[in-house]
Amino acid sequence: MSDRTRSVLRTSIPPLRRLLPSVLFGAASGGSVVALIACSAWLIARAAEQPPVLYLSLAIVGVRAFALGRAVFRYLERLTGHDAAFRQLAEIRTGVFERMLPVAPDGIADLRRGELLARFTGDVDELQNVPLRAVQPVASASVVLVAAVVGVSSVSPGSALAIAGCLVAGLGATVLVQRAVAARAERRLAPLRGELQAAVVEHVQSLDMLVAFDAAAASRRRIERLGERLAQHTRANASAAGAAAALMAAIGGFAVAASLTAGQSLLAEGRIDGPTFAVLCLVPLAIAEIAAALPPAVTAWRLARVSAERVASAVPDEVPAELPAAPLEPDVVPATDGPPRLTLRAVGAAWPGSRGAALSGIDLELAPGERVLVRGPSGSGKTTLAHVLVRFLDVADGSYLIDGVDTARLDPSEVRRLVGLVEQSPWLFDEDVRQNLLFARDTASDDELVDVLARVGLGDWLAERGGLGAKVGERGALVSGGQAQRHALARAMLAGFPVLVLDEPTANVDRERADSLLRELLGAAGADRTVVLISHTPVDPSLVDRIVTIDGGRLVGEAGREPATRVAP
Amino acid sequence: MKPLDPRLVRRSRAARGFLVAGGALAVVQAAATIAIAWAIAGLVSGLIDGMPIDEVRLLLALLVCGATVRALGAWGWEVVGSSGAMRVKGELRSDLLAALERRPAGIAGFPTARIATLLGPGVDALDDYFGRYLPQLVLTVVATPACIAAAWIADPLSGLVLVIVLPLTPVFMALIGMATERVQRRQWDSLSTLSRGFLEVVGGLSTLLLYGRAQRQVGRIRAVTDDYRKHTMKVLRVTFLSGFTLELAASLSVALVAVSIGLRLVSGDMALAAGIFVLVLAPEVFLPLRNVGAAFHASAAGVTAAADAFELLEAAEGAGDEASPIQHAPGSGARGRSTAGEGLALAGVTVRRDERVVIDGRSFAVPTGRLAAVVGESGSGKSTLFAALLGFVPHEGVIELEGRELDGHGFDRIAWAGQTPTLVAGTVEMNVRLGDESADPAFLDTALRVAGVDVPADRRLGPGGSGLSGGQAQRVAIARAVHRLLARDLPLLLLDEPTSAQDASREAELAAELRGLAATGRIVLVATHRPELMAVADVVVSTEAAHV
Repeated sequence: MSDRTRSVLRTSIPPLRRLLPSVLFGAASGGSVVALIACSAWLIARAAEQPPVLYLSLAIVGVRAFALGRAVFRYLERLTGHDAAFRQLAEIRTGVFERMLPVAPDGIADLRRGELLARFTGDVDELQNVPLRAVQPVASASVVLVAAVVGVSSVSPGSALAIAGCLVAGLGATVLVQRAVAARAERRLAPLRGELQAAVVEHVQSLDMLVAFDAAAASRRRIERLGERLAQHTRANASAAGAAAALMAAIGGFAVAASLTAGQSLLAEGRIDGPTFAVLCLVPLAIAEIAAALPPAVTAWRLARVSAERVASAVPDEVPAELPAAPLEPDVVPATDGPPRLTLRAVGAAWPGSRGAALSGIDLELAPGERVLVRGPSGSGKTTLAHVLVRFLDVADGSYLIDGVDTARLDPSEVRRLVGLVEQSPWLFDEDVRQNLLFARDTASDDELVDVLARVGLGDWLAERGGLGAKVGERGALVSGGQAQRHALARAMLAGFPVLVLDEPTANVDRERADSLLRELLGAAGADRTVVLISHTPVDPSLVDRIVTIDGGRLVGEAGREPATRVAP
Repeated sequence: MKPLDPRLVRRSRAARGFLVAGGALAVVQAAATIAIAWAIAGLVSGLIDGMPIDEVRLLLALLVCGATVRALGAWGWEVVGSSGAMRVKGELRSDLLAALERRPAGIAGFPTARIATLLGPGVDALDDYFGRYLPQLVLTVVATPACIAAAWIADPLSGLVLVIVLPLTPVFMALIGMATERVQRRQWDSLSTLSRGFLEVVGGLSTLLLYGRAQRQVGRIRAVTDDYRKHTMKVLRVTFLSGFTLELAASLSVALVAVSIGLRLVSGDMALAAGIFVLVLAPEVFLPLRNVGAAFHASAAGVTAAADAFELLEAAEGAGDEASPIQHAPGSGARGRSTAGEGLALAGVTVRRDERVVIDGRSFAVPTGRLAAVVGESGSGKSTLFAALLGFVPHEGVIELEGRELDGHGFDRIAWAGQTPTLVAGTVEMNVRLGDESADPAFLDTALRVAGVDVPADRRLGPGGSGLSGGQAQRVAIARAVHRLLARDLPLLLLDEPTSAQDASREAELAAELRGLAATGRIVLVATHRPELMAVADVVVSTEAAHV
């Protein structure tokens, strides 16, 4: 077990003050079970000796009190235990997310969303079982078992030894059986479940394509095969768990027989009376009932450990070299009125996990207020450049300066405050239009939102859909590709980045509209905003100050329109 | 809440098999339990009275045998329960997947995240349902009456106490169950929201980072989780109440039986052996019922998941009828106008999506051998028109391809590439030959060439086709459509915005290839807003009514 796994497991255990109530209530409930049986057995056996009823009254009160206590304490145990576990769940979930932040988005781009879903809801939910099904039941049952065996030994040490022997042998064998047979299957269950879920998500999300290519049946069969494999492992698992459960079920009967045989001679010699003997014979049944809680706890612990390992490895532990890391003591860019000056000097960059650089030797100076078109064929490194500019990707060689400050010494989020990006495939959240805009600037009024939508050409669309409350649908399903781009543009305009990088903003917009949209956009951006426009389609040269061309990750040409005129103050 | 969803028994053979095997096991376990109680009672009372050693040995043997048989019964339950759950889950999953395939355009009210949750963690709730809840339910039905009967024979008065107390508990259970169902439903919804919310946060993580909002999501996740806890605790407070009632009834009736036996023993009205027999048996009467209570939570989750699955099945099957072949607008009279078995002809085609008319009574024709461009503003219904041709959404009016009406299975006669590439994990070759894996390999080369794919065919792609640029992925998707067109010799190729991620030279190359493809006697229909593509098209069709 790695340190990382251990620390995940440790975070899943609530602090003592929250765990203790459930342990104590559990012990009280278990104690009541044993006491109820002992009291009842003594009552009946003593009654058979026909003493005056008065001698029985204490036992009668005890029987009733323990009967009540057992149910009440059990209810309290379950409530306090679940509440403590759920409170811990929030810690675990946010912990996983916080681990993702430094490597997102380019360090976890390959993680399947379906698998993440399974990991998050499955493995993390599994972790709440650590206190609930492992730690607390073991603690409570141990207290009760030790007390019960010690109690029996005060009357008949032989019986206590016999009961303890049955318990140790039964529990030991049970745990060993579980380990030997199920450990392998268990290790496979969680990954298989993740694989199945990933396959289901892929199937459901590309269903229209799969149907159109007659491939849906094959994909469905793959899911069914995965389901069958999962079923096989689950069955092997259940069979082993069943063998263990069987051993535990047998313990009660065997312990009665053992305790009775050991106590029999004491009875014959007259060293204990009949009622005490009856107690010795029946208490093992209750003890076995308590002990039965232990094997499932061991299983729960093992399952939780596998999940903890997966949670620990779900997201890379260390930030890959290709991604920027926030410096411990970040500098700040001195505040200026206009947009900052961006300088790239011989910059090279690469994607995590890929061989070779995607960009190399890029020299580029972006003066405040300048509009630069970056063009080049698809796959030439334009998007890489965009990701470097917003510090999604680190500068591997050379340097990237903002107003003369090296961005390596800046917090990436500080860079992103200055440099904004409209992505090639923007993400719309499954909310209404208002929510999708507001997170860019949450102080914006409805009028401002409507205004910005009109500026990107969505005014009519908004009116048709009935205003800002219109839903955009899951993954923007209710808006077309071009409309999604415009939403993203509107969002960027609201945020008001001094430097704005537009990655193929007009890819899904028709040509006539593309030019007018760009004109509108650049007009709306104002003269004092730097704009980097990335496009593989021709753009009206009068819209920009300068055109640079990238091919194969290198700058291959630069053409300026009236080079000197727009270089701002 | 119903303890057992009748739809489950009706629909599932595996569920019925499980119930039969379980019934047999329950009888064996009841017999073993009674034997154990009888042996213990005989031993305790006998030894106190000084019983001969032979009889002691006999009873000890009976005790050990009874315990062993009972243990084997417990093992049998685990095996039967688990394989029952697995088989029912498999059946449900297959049924659901098959039903979904009939509605490729999606089902209203079931976003993909909800379907994915339902097919994964959703049906997993059936594990506990079959593994823990149903076995105890069967034991309650079979073993409990047997134990009561045995207790009654030994001591009618105790039997009477058990008979009176026992039925009270299901009544409480039903009352509490009714209260639980509502909250349970809400909790299931909040679990779906939680997983959907996380998917959204992860999917939009780059967007959130760009706007400096990612850090803030930590608080949001915490809030959602805490909300989930509050919901769940509300459910549990009630759910555990039913467990509490059962536990209380069980232990109080043991107390009642013990006290009443004790008092009658004092007055010499009954024998010690009978008293101990009933005392040992009394908890066993309640044990299955108590376990049902303990598994009640599991049962509710399982029943809710099953109900959700059936709801989706019914929605898919119901919607399937509605979507099935073309619905003619009465009196459209289009049939007579169709041209004699050539090309593609639409007459008075109307398509609605979510009650909104997207395409309103369009008619146009494209002769065989032509390249046609479908143009119109973004959102004007180009993709919807394609979905109607493919049969993914229902339409009114008549669509004919080569003289035959396109029914709900348009995709049988059409090759299509959608607006997003939608590639799957595997090699480029596997993606291109998808669905026609046994076709002539020569088609693969042609398709790759036509679409201008410049990555090696054996390049392995990650999930969702990751590892390719947007333009490359788009070309692979086009190659896939072309491959199908050639391999199956289909008459119609539909490409939705095929050049949105291509540069001008690629666009020109593709346009030329498409014209060549059309010239081999096929129809190529391209939805586009690129003037270059429109310029080379033989026919330009607008989806906007004004241009008719």
